Amino acid sequence: MRSTYGVVLPGMNLENLPGKLIVIEGTDGVGRSTQIQLLRPWLEQQGRAVVDTGMTRSKLAGKGIKQAKQGHTLGKVTLNLFYATDFADRLENEIVPALRAGFVVLTDRYIYSLIARAVVRGIEPAWVRNVYRFALIPDAIFYLRIGVEELIPRVVFSTGFDYWESGMDLHPSEDMYESFQKYQTALLSQFENLVEEYQFKVVNASQNIPEVFEDLKEGISEVLAESEPPSLEAIGAQGHREALTSPSPVPADGNGAES
Amino acid sequence: MKRYGEHRFPGKLFVVEGIDGSGKSTQLNLLHQWLRAEGYGTVFSEWNSSPLVRETTRRGKKRKMLTPASFCLIHATDFADRMEHNIIPLLKAGAVVLCDRYIYTAFARDVARGMDPGWVRELYAFAVRPTLAFYFRVPLDVAMKRLLNGRSGFKFYEAGMDLGLSGDAVESFEIFQGHIIKEYEEMIPEFDLTVVDATLPIEEQQTRMRQLVKSKLAQAKRLRVAP
Repeated sequence: MRSTYGVVLPGMNLENLPGKLIVIEGTDGVGRSTQIQLLRPWLEQQGRAVVDTGMTRSKLAGKGIKQAKQGHTLGKVTLNLFYATDFADRLENEIVPALRAGFVVLTDRYIYSLIARAVVRGIEPAWVRNVYRFALIPDAIFYLRIGVEELIPRVVFSTGFDYWESGMDLHPSEDMYESFQKYQTALLSQFENLVEEYQFKVVNASQNIPEVFEDLKEGISEVLAESEPPSLEAIGAQGHREALTSPSPVPADGNGAES
Repeated sequence: MKRYGEHRFPGKLFVVEGIDGSGKSTQLNLLHQWLRAEGYGTVFSEWNSSPLVRETTRRGKKRKMLTPASFCLIHATDFADRMEHNIIPLLKAGAVVLCDRYIYTAFARDVARGMDPGWVRELYAFAVRPTLAFYFRVPLDVAMKRLLNGRSGFKFYEAGMDLGLSGDAVESFEIFQGHIIKEYEEMIPEFDLTVVDATLPIEEQQTRMRQLVKSKLAQAKRLRVAP
């Protein structure tokens, strides 16, 4: 039987989910979507049915998030919860049904990017981890690791600097380059914090595209050969079990709005 | 991110809770008029009203796309937007903020829909603790009588039809509200809710409310604005 990070959503049956959930994680511009475009046909040639998914692609909330981000007026808690809504909708309506039907689900980012981004924006780490405790534990998380100095030329010569990917909401007085450098440095350091906690398989993304692809193929082949889905015990996620047994108590005697 | 209860603002936050038909909105409106007449800078903040999120919620409800999880999270998103852009700045400015429904509505509904109680409470940890939270307690049959007199029917999610409790909207609504009352009752000691007997005459309930609100305003820094 599959596991979640501690909370099971109503109506979600964790038995009989024989597909594989494979996550490609990494920062903005690191080459995740390029690799997914290569991995999909490679998997299909082996006779695997593949579904790929990614952030803000939910039918429910995808459009709303994009519209709200246009205005740059979203608060950080609000933005994070909007992403959580999008994630829940995709988990229930896309990921779980595909796993039930035996598909390989390739997902461009999962909860880890959302956690890293939120923490960089000053959201309490324990709170954001709790939000995503209903997520299924993936069969594998491949983290495309890169340094910020290698990331910059890739972004400059492809899509250019994006407002949110440069963390301009955090450093409004800086120019895009300076803000990007600061923001991505902070973000990469948050990702590093997650490597061990969530058992990432690290891929060196400063290699060229075919080399990264080779590493991913090798890693994914191993995952496809396994028969047991991952569990909290197996990944030794101590922190998550603790979070499960002690939801933070809310004091009943405060008077927060008092001066 | 500050947690529930850690906020210290000069403003005051009063919220009303209870099932539909408990009369809580009537009471809040009367309180609002009184506070304004007394010269307090008073602002209303309604449940489910964030302009950024409303369109998504509306679509989800209309097309019946919402599950207990996405219902819970989209309402939390809406609430967060109001908290960050409306309620907190107003409290910082020293306003008296009135909320018709607050986090306790979410706890009651989401848990009645099967969400994990501890998880939902933690989800809303960014909320400001109210100065006073009134719970309008009313027997289900009294509330049903009031509602059936005044309206033609119930909406899909409002009646909890997504839970498959009954194919009949009125019956489903009644069963669902029964679950919600149970959740509210458990929250009274947990969150120190102020219980108002909502079967009493309107004036009597209002008198009690005003006394309690006044006692909190007296302790506050001077909030009066010119009428």
